[in-house]
Amino acid sequence: MLGFIIQNNIVCNAVEAMLFTSIACAVLGVIITQINISSIGFTMAHAAFAGAAVGMFLGVSATLVAVAFSLAVALLLGPLSDRAKISTDTALGVLFGMSMAVAIFFIAYMQHIGRGFNATALLFGDVISLYRHEVYGLAVISVLAVLFVVLFYKEISAIVFNRKIAEASGIRVTPIYYGMLFIIAIAVALSLNIIGGLLLYVWLVTPAAIAYQFCYSVRSMFVVAPLIAAAISVAGAVAGLEFSLPVAPLTAVALGGVFMAAVILSPKRRITDSKS
Amino acid sequence: MSCNGEIICLENIYTAYEGAAYPVIRGISLAIRQGEYAIVGGPNGAGKTTLLESINGMLTITHGNAYVCGMDVRRHGHEIRRKVGYVVQSFYFDPLTPFTAEEVITMGRYGLMGLLKRPGEADYRAAEAAIRLLGLEDIAHKPIGTLSGGQQQKVLIAQNIAKEPELMLLDEPFSNLDLCTREFVSGVLRELSRKGIAVVMVCHAFDGLPDERIRILVMRDGSLCLDETCDPDLVEAKVRRASVVQ
Repeated sequence: MLGFIIQNNIVCNAVEAMLFTSIACAVLGVIITQINISSIGFTMAHAAFAGAAVGMFLGVSATLVAVAFSLAVALLLGPLSDRAKISTDTALGVLFGMSMAVAIFFIAYMQHIGRGFNATALLFGDVISLYRHEVYGLAVISVLAVLFVVLFYKEISAIVFNRKIAEASGIRVTPIYYGMLFIIAIAVALSLNIIGGLLLYVWLVTPAAIAYQFCYSVRSMFVVAPLIAAAISVAGAVAGLEFSLPVAPLTAVALGGVFMAAVILSPKRRITDSKS
Repeated sequence: MSCNGEIICLENIYTAYEGAAYPVIRGISLAIRQGEYAIVGGPNGAGKTTLLESINGMLTITHGNAYVCGMDVRRHGHEIRRKVGYVVQSFYFDPLTPFTAEEVITMGRYGLMGLLKRPGEADYRAAEAAIRLLGLEDIAHKPIGTLSGGQQQKVLIAQNIAKEPELMLLDEPFSNLDLCTREFVSGVLRELSRKGIAVVMVCHAFDGLPDERIRILVMRDGSLCLDETCDPDLVEAKVRRASVVQ
C-alpha cells in the first residue's frame, strides 16, 4: 500500500503495520479510556498471548488462536460482569489472571517436553518478520474500528458520557458495548505480533490520554488520538529500522514522552490570570 | 385493578435485586393518568428509586403486571425508555469530561432516533427549546464537568425534556438546587404536566411545589402506605406522618 513511497519491503511492511495498529488501537483507546476500562488492554493482550501459546503447542496458526482467545474474553467479559454483579474492572482482573495462567502453563509445559518456545516477539513485538496477510488484517481492523465509531458515534458518545443515563434514554447499550469488546479483541490479537502483549497497552491508552489533554469534545479526541498515534508510530518505525533499534519499545517510549509534554502544555490545567 | 389507558398502570408488582433475600418493591398497585403530577416520598431505603426504575424497565419486575405508555414493561422495557424521561438521582462528572452541556442535552434525543441515524433539524430544535426553557443559554457551550451541581442537575432535566417524553420520572431533582431554582424548575415541571406529560418525582424538599393540588405517594418498606391528593402546604406533613413506622 505504501510501496510507492517506501521501496524496501521490510520497512514498508513495518511502517504499514505500525500505521494500522496505531489507528485501530488509538480509536478504540478513546472509548476504553473514557469508560475507564483501561485494564481491558492488558487483559485482551494476555488472552491473545495465551492463545498464541496454545496455537504453538497445537501446531496451528498462533494468530488465529490468539484471535479466538481474545474473542472468548470479549464474549465472557460482558456477561461475566453483568451476571456476577462485579465491575468490568474486576471481571477483567479475573480474566487477566486466567489468561496468564493458561499462557504460563503451555510455555512451561512446552519447555518441559523439550519444545522450546520463544515468547519474545509476542511480549515485546517484532515488526521485521511480518507476513503480508498480517498487514492486510491490520488494515481491515483499523477500517473496522473507524467505521464502528463513525456509524455508532451517537451511541458510543452517550455510553462514554454515562452508561446508566444512556440506557435510561433508550439507547441499546449492551449490543454496542459487546460490539466494541469484539473489535478490541480482534485489534489486540492482530497487533500482538507487531507491538507485543506487554506494550500494546501503551497504544490503547497513551494516544487517547494525549488527546484528552487538548480536546474538549469526544469527537475531536477520535480524530486527534489516531493522528498522534499514527505520526509517532510511523516515525518510530522509520527511526527504529534506520538505526537498528527495537521499534515497538522505541515508539512506546516516544508516546510516553509526548504524553508527559502534553500534560505540561495542556491548556486544561491553566489557571487564568484575568480578573474579569 | 384494571388498566384503562393510564400512562402508568402497575398491578401488584414485585421487584427484587439479584441475590437479595427479599424483594425491594412488594405488591404495589398504582395508576397514573396523563398529565398527572405526583410526588413519591418516604424514608431512605423505602424503594422509591427502585419503583422509578421498575416503571421504566431498568429493573426486572418479578411478579405482577406493569404497563407504561400502553406497553408491557417486562417485554418492552427498551421501547418504554425511549418514551419515558428519567432524571437520575446521583451523578458525578469529571471536571475535564469532554462533553458540553448542549451535547449532553442533545443526547436525550439519541434513543428516539434509533441506530445509524444522525441528529436532524428536529433534534437540535428540541434541544435548543429545552435549553431555553431551563434558562441554560449561558452555559450551553461549557463542559458539563465544570458546572455546579445545580447547573448539572438542570442540564439533566433539560436532556429529558428535549426527549419530549410522554412520562417524566425524576429522582430527587431538587437535591442540588437552591430555593429559587427549585421553584423555577418546579414550575417547568408543572407546565409539562399541564401539557399532558405525567410527572412522577421522588422528592424530599417540599418548599418549591406548585400552588395546586398534588398527588402524594408515600412508600415504606417497598409498599405504598399513602396515596392521596392534597394541597401543597399539606404535602410535607402528610409525607412526614406516613413515613414514620406506626
